[in-house]
Amino acid sequence: MSLKSLDRELLVVVGAGGVGKTTLAAALGLQSAKAGADTLVMTFDPSLRLKDALGVGEEAKERPAIVKAGTKGRLEVALLDAGTTFDRLIRRYAPDAAAAERIFSNRFYRDLAGNLAGILEYMAVERLFEVQSERRYARIILDTPPTRQALDFLEAPDRIVNFLDSGAIRIALKPWWEQGGGLRGMPMRLAAKGVEEIADRIIGMRLLGDMLEFFRAFVPLYDGFRERAEEVRKLLRAPETLFVLVSGPGADRIPDTLFFARKLAERGHHLGPIVVNQVHPEAPAPGAPGPLAAGLALFHFLGQRDREGVERLRRLLSRGEPLLAVPLAATPPTDLPSLTSLGATLLAQLPG
Amino acid sequence: MKLLDGLARLQLVVVTGKGGVGKTTVAAALARLLAEGGRRTLLLEIDPRESLHQLLGTEPSGGKIVKVGPRLAVQNLQAQAVIEGLVREKVRVGVLAKKIVASPVFQHFTEGAPGLKEMAILGYALRTVKGEYRHRADVVVLDAPATGHGASMLSAPLLLAEAIEGGQLGEMAQDLAGLIADPRRCGVVLTTLAEEMPVQELVELVTLLRERMGRPPELVVANALYPPFPANAPAPRSGALTETLALWEQRRAVNERELARLGQAWKGPLVELPLLPVDRGPMLLAQVADALGEALS
Repeated sequence: MSLKSLDRELLVVVGAGGVGKTTLAAALGLQSAKAGADTLVMTFDPSLRLKDALGVGEEAKERPAIVKAGTKGRLEVALLDAGTTFDRLIRRYAPDAAAAERIFSNRFYRDLAGNLAGILEYMAVERLFEVQSERRYARIILDTPPTRQALDFLEAPDRIVNFLDSGAIRIALKPWWEQGGGLRGMPMRLAAKGVEEIADRIIGMRLLGDMLEFFRAFVPLYDGFRERAEEVRKLLRAPETLFVLVSGPGADRIPDTLFFARKLAERGHHLGPIVVNQVHPEAPAPGAPGPLAAGLALFHFLGQRDREGVERLRRLLSRGEPLLAVPLAATPPTDLPSLTSLGATLLAQLPG
Repeated sequence: MKLLDGLARLQLVVVTGKGGVGKTTVAAALARLLAEGGRRTLLLEIDPRESLHQLLGTEPSGGKIVKVGPRLAVQNLQAQAVIEGLVREKVRVGVLAKKIVASPVFQHFTEGAPGLKEMAILGYALRTVKGEYRHRADVVVLDAPATGHGASMLSAPLLLAEAIEGGQLGEMAQDLAGLIADPRRCGVVLTTLAEEMPVQELVELVTLLRERMGRPPELVVANALYPPFPANAPAPRSGALTETLALWEQRRAVNERELARLGQAWKGPLVELPLLPVDRGPMLLAQVADALGEALS
């Protein structure tokens, strides 16, 4: 089977947490490899069952692991881990081993950098850049981290770059950079001194010292960070990149889905199919009272609720994106055959 | 002692769990029960895209404190707004405060700095119950954001308290870490679905709370369970019915398997809430509150 409109070099699977992105990314990966493309699925936090199904363990954090699915194209899975990626980036881009060591031994880096807001998303982007520039795959499928709001994924990388690059750091570092810098540096130095005093009063000297040291050690890496972020920004808007938006069923998810579809378009991304996942199939109206009546009434309600949700979403979508409804399976798809059939169900609904 | 009475003595109840498990509904139901029990309750929603108002059948609050019943108020609280408020408090000169808050440096730093937003939210809750703001409450129920592991809200103060020595922020971190660690003042309610991923995260969270923070949660809520499948169900007569029954039976089996796994890791109080044939709104909230109230008394 061909991948139809999903035949792109990069598929980004986005959506709110808990809607089944990871499973769908794996299912699409299998279809892509079956169609003959060497494919990499980059994912964050697959369930144990899914990892078992794909035959992937912790080692996939270090390098992509091969999925033995007997597909025509190669299928590999990489697990993303913010800490591992951050360490590797520093090792790779620091000017020398001593500079890397300075960062690794910094207390701010060790205790707090892993908790920088959006670090996971940023690291996803870094890994994507790394893998993409190696050109080992015909297709990459990027599963995105479990955020409450799907939009967080797109905003987080900018947030991190802004933070690392923020003027605060520049100002704080000015005294070191501009030592003996003459008159021009004077007002800056005075301002920096004021900022430092306030900062000391509020955050304390130890943390401040750790942070300054961290950012100083980071100076040689700044430009690379910004350049790569820029490259990835372009890549995420390129015509060969397609976003697959995944949503849960039910009317109360619709505003989120519409909001995100609109935002993607506004930001110049290419939006592909919208997948409403885990849709309860329609169930017959409950008949006579009995031990099954209450349960059947529930399933009847859920079937109707989800069908109405899909219909309403279809009406509200202004552009021509196809809307795919994936029915809730009796058992979660967590082995290769059920993942393969999930992917096939999805593709069968695509036009063309 | 009844579980609800125990929760009613607390100053702060943090409700957390993976995204999409019904955390907001459970938080709102609990807040309602506490208010009905006589406590002045403030329910805080952190998500910038408000959804609590749908559940309550009210208008979006836009950050204001809205009274929604006797002794019950809700607020959509943005960390950035709290941080800006703090700056205005500390920097007495209005013009200067305005300049700081508006500067991209400040914006970028507070957006990215680890733990800062969590601290701001928790600090706001603490000051509310201490009566430092105009709106006072006996207890704050916090609908904590669902991050990857739902734990950042609980672990941020400890992390910062360890990283910072001295300074006002350091003292605040110490204060808040103390609040979180004290089961007489702060309660943790973990919400989950009886499905594989949510239970896996819940088990990790229970371990983290025990080992890192030296305190177990007060309560685990397993939400939206499919009803038990009748043991001697009559054989279906139609094809469509066969499919529905198979879906019911197997989805319930997943629930039971995951409840058993949960039971291995968590021997404390566990409330099971049914999946209800009701749309999200005031009616759903009322029914969940009833079910929760019954289970907790």
